[in-house]
Parts: sequence; structure tokens; C-alpha cells
Amino acid sequence: MVGDRDTADRYFEPQVETMPRRRLRARQEERVLELVGYAYANSAFYRELWDGHGVHPRDIRSLADFRARVPFITKDMVRAYRARTGDPFGGLLCVPGEELTSVSSSSGTTGEPEFFAEIWQDAPPLVTAQVRDLWELGLRPGDRVLSPPGTFRNLMDPGYQALGAVVIEVDTWMGRMHEVVEAMRTYRPAYLQMMYPQMVELEHLAEKTDLKEAFSSLKGASCAGQPLSRKMRERIRDDWGIDVYEYTSAADTGTAWECREHDGFHLWEDTVFAECVEVGEDGWRDVPEGDLGELVATDLDNRAAPLIRYRSEDLVRLSGETCGCGRTHARMWVAGRRGDETLVQGRSVVLRDVWQAVEDQPETVAGVFQIVRDRREVDELLLRVGYDPALTGDVDALAGRLGEAVRERTGVKPVLDMRTEEDLLKTMTSVAKFPRVVKR
Amino acid sequence: MTRADTLARAGLLDRPALAYVVRFPAADGTRETELTWAELARDTEWATARLREHGLAAGQRALLTMSGFEGFWGHAVIGALRALKVTYGIAEAMGWDHRRTSVFHRELRPHAVIGLSAETLEGLSGVADVGEMFRPTSVVLARPAAVPVLRALGVSACLFSPLGPALALECPERSGAHVNAAEWRVAERDGELSVAAGEQRTSPLPETPLGIPGRVAVGRCACGSQDPRVLFSVAGRPLSSRS
Repeated sequence: MVGDRDTADRYFEPQVETMPRRRLRARQEERVLELVGYAYANSAFYRELWDGHGVHPRDIRSLADFRARVPFITKDMVRAYRARTGDPFGGLLCVPGEELTSVSSSSGTTGEPEFFAEIWQDAPPLVTAQVRDLWELGLRPGDRVLSPPGTFRNLMDPGYQALGAVVIEVDTWMGRMHEVVEAMRTYRPAYLQMMYPQMVELEHLAEKTDLKEAFSSLKGASCAGQPLSRKMRERIRDDWGIDVYEYTSAADTGTAWECREHDGFHLWEDTVFAECVEVGEDGWRDVPEGDLGELVATDLDNRAAPLIRYRSEDLVRLSGETCGCGRTHARMWVAGRRGDETLVQGRSVVLRDVWQAVEDQPETVAGVFQIVRDRREVDELLLRVGYDPALTGDVDALAGRLGEAVRERTGVKPVLDMRTEEDLLKTMTSVAKFPRVVKR
Repeated sequence: MTRADTLARAGLLDRPALAYVVRFPAADGTRETELTWAELARDTEWATARLREHGLAAGQRALLTMSGFEGFWGHAVIGALRALKVTYGIAEAMGWDHRRTSVFHRELRPHAVIGLSAETLEGLSGVADVGEMFRPTSVVLARPAAVPVLRALGVSACLFSPLGPALALECPERSGAHVNAAEWRVAERDGELSVAAGEQRTSPLPETPLGIPGRVAVGRCACGSQDPRVLFSVAGRPLSSRS
């Protein structure tokens, strides 16, 4: 039985996952050159854009040509094309619409949801891209997994089932964590997909429930949607005994997961060509490896609607150094989103600093907060903060302490809008994301 | 070096016969039953035939609204849509995701909307004219609590509902939601519905009261099917045909 034989084997596709970078780069070049011709021939968006820039596939003969000649695209450019033409796919579609298997979308937490056109056979693309990561986590045939909280990037079950896992149908969305704990004890699953609100809810349950015992069957749990703070991560790992694997978007081309080393997110570079750049008004440049830059991604395995040199707005550090796990595919460390920095009367305030101040108060240790602003430059720092009412005797006193802690971290005295955690989490409009920066 | 290669590698693994453990609310609490791949294939075949009766065909689009824990029927319906070559969009059935349902509906103009919930309608009602939105949609398969709301607005909605571990799906005759007689037995006791596994099912499920008010109609439907039909009661009132 292949599954049994490979249980001790860390890699699902060893030849791909540990491929020498030189060979990986050669494969990427081959794929990019095919892609440029394909997109130009089939996508109205790319043809129009590249014609406007005087770019033709015949001029692109290497990765260097591709990077020198092919322009970046942004979410706003695709939205503008969609608004101008009425094409819901923003001109990206490279096949007739009737050839699509499915259409999923982004969460739409910061604007109109964007569509992802999908063609697949056995499992939708997003979860298929996670199969290697789930194998690394330890998922094996016959293991049980709890159903995920939502379906926002399509039904995830076929990906788990491709690995031979059995899906236990449990409503794992907000407000159901007591049932999840009960199901954990009954079914002893090996894997659980979690989102930030579930973590907050578990934090409340931890007082009266032995979570370490309840979660002891897990080989690992994943968490996505936003980074976990250091404190939350320690709590999950040390107090609840869960080996938690964070993952993030690979610039909308797939996902990037931590491996068992928990040292950066692996990009699967046979499916994405990643660049880390700094873009200014007078052009762009590569940032030195390990420095902070914007992740730019090109889809290498998407014939439906590939993203090509797509600026993700994610600020990351990228490294091609072989990971401790032996994989050669690049890793990235996410620092935040371009535009998340807030300028309060000219002073820079970043999410990380606010987060630490919020987490340092026992009543707000879950880190439920949002910066409320209509534009990046503001006169005052308005923070909406969620507190645990069971731990909060005097909200005004908490606000006083918290305001001072934020001032110490950021140099800015905030205006606080105190809510219960539950009230604030209820404003979520996606299973995937709790937005940290919101409009009034 | 593509996702297809990854799945081809996965295809070499020995998969267990079991696909899902289905937990469902019953009259006396949560119950469970198992769903094998062979059963899922038969469920998919049945759903394909039902959706074909609604005129779903290649080249059309559908919008599916469901939750993450509804894969036991979602998998079969997605399989049916794929078999019919109908492209589907997907949104959550929870009320807070109504905006994506709205955007999918506006932009993709689906021929069919499947699994529409009362929570989604409630969310939509604050921002859209729900009747105007769904009246032009050829096929609206809605959950029991959503059906009377839609019908009151002139939308020709048909019933679509999980019934314990089974799926109930109304045909265009709108004379009750069909349940696959080859796989399930449904009954009515004291005005409430119950379900039991048929002999073909691997996992035995004795007659299980579901605590759902309704009744069962037997006999041949005008569509030609011999499947039993369930008629749900919502807020104490029967969801009568063509109401």
C-alpha cells in the first residue's frame, strides 16, 4: 500500500519538491515562455495591455526578457477592465466560459470580490495546491479530518480525500467550538482547518475545557486568513498542544504553507514564478534576497485565467535557500500588506505595534482589533478593540491602560472604540479574513 | 510538475471505501452515518438526473450556496453539475455572505441557483429587491424556509433540502421534494419526517425521526418518478405545491 510505505517519507513528490533550483528555474522559463504566447493569443486583457506596451511574445525568449519587457498588473487594472467592458473575469479568461468547471472568488472584504476561473478534474485547484503541504503535515490515507468552516474558494473536501482522508461533517464556523471539541473527542481526527475567530473562541473555552486532551489526536491544524501573533501561536502550541501550520495566499495563484520547520511559507515554484521587487515611480528593481519587497507572481499552472506579473501588495522577504526540510522551493516571510501602514499626523503606525499593545492586556489578549480609517493619512488613530467581557470588570479602566500601551508602542495616543470580541467578530463577512484595516 | 501530476500521484494511494462520516440533526440529537465512495457515485447519478429534469445542460451556469459541512450532498451536486457540463460558482449559505451571492448572481447570470437559504435572502433583502433578482432566474432550488419567501415574491422556487443524510430535491412539477427511493426510506410519523437507510446503503440507519414537520406523498409524480416526495411545513404551515 503506497500510503503505508510512504508514511515515513516526508515528501509527497520528492523529485519536484527537492529539485535543484537551477532545474526549477529552467522549468519555470520553459513554462513562462509558453504562457506568454498562450495569454497573448487568448486573453483580451493581456493582448490589449501588452500591445499598449509594445510587447509581443516573439520578443520574449528568456526569463530575463520576460522580466524586462512584460508589464506588471494590479488588482485595480483588472477591476478597471471589468468595469469598462462588463467582462466579469476582467479580460483574463483564456478559454471560452463554458469550458470552466467552476468559479470561486476572493472574500470581497476590501471591495468587490474578484472571480477565479477554474478548470479541474478530480479536485479544485486551491486545495490541490495544498496536497503536498497536507502530506508534510502528516495527513495519510485513512486519517480523519473535520470539514472546513467554509467553501469560499470551492469545496475543499476533494483535496483531503485525494490523500485518502475521510471527512467528518461538523459545523466548524463561529459559535460552534464546543461542538468541535466534542467531535474531536469522538472522531479523533488528524487534521483541522481553523480560522482566526475559532482561535478566539477556543481561548474562551480553554478556561473550562482540557483542550490539550481534546486536540491530542491532531497531527496538525492549519490556520489562515491572517498571521497569528507570537503570543497566540505559543498558546496554541504550548497550552493546547497543537502543531499549528500557518498558510497564506501565494498572490492569488495558490497558497504557501509552513513546513514542519515552521520557518517561512513555501511557495510551490513549479506552479508560480515569484519575484520580490520594489516598485517606484521611476521603475522597479529586485530587492536583495532577504530584504523586504512586494511579492509579484506569475501563474505557471492555470490555463483558465493566469495571473502574469501580478503585484500582490504583500510585503515579503523571499529566500531561495534550501529549507531545513530539504525542499528547494523558495520560502517567504510576510511582513504585511502594502497600504496597511497608517500615517497619523505624519507618524508611521504599523499593525504589528498595535497588535502587541492589544495582546499585552489580559482582557484583549486575543488580539481582536481594527484600525478604522478612510484614507492612509489621518489626524487621529481610531482603534476598534474587542475585549472579553468575562475578564473585563471596568471597560474604561481597560481603555485607559490600553490607550497608554498603544501610545508607548507607536508614539500615538489612540481614540478607542471598545466592543466585545463577539460583537467585533460578528462583523466578519468572510470565512477567510478578519480585516485589520477598515473604513468607518 | 502540475497540479494534475500531484493528483495523479495521489491516485496511487489506497483510498478507504469511506468518503464521509455524515452527522445530522435528528429529533433526539445529533446522529451519524457513513457515506462510501460507491454511495456517493450513486447519489451523484441521482442528482444529475434531477438537475437534468430542471433543464440544466452544457454551457449553462449555476450558483451553488452551501456550507463547509455540507460536502456530503455538495459533493454529489457538484459532481452532477460537472457531469452536465454546467459551470458553477460557489458562495457560503450563511447570511453574512449574501454579498458574494449577489455579485455572483449579477455578474454570472446563472441559469440555476441551488441551495439558497433564508439567511441569504434576509441578508439580500436589505440591499436588493429579492423578487426582481430571482424572478428572471430559470431554476431556483431553495431551502425550505426560503421557499415561501421566494414564492410570495413571485419567484417560482423549488424545494431543495438535506433530509438527514439524504437529499430532497423537487422536480419542476413542484409537488414535493423527491428523495431517492433506491437509497432511502422516508416516512411521516405524527406530522414529522423520518429517514432510514435503504438496503443498498453500507451504513445501517434505522428509521430516525428528524424532528422536521412535514408529510410524505407517495405514488407516481407527474414527472414520472416513483420516488417518494416530502412536503415540508414551515412555521406551522405546509409548503403546498405551487403555493
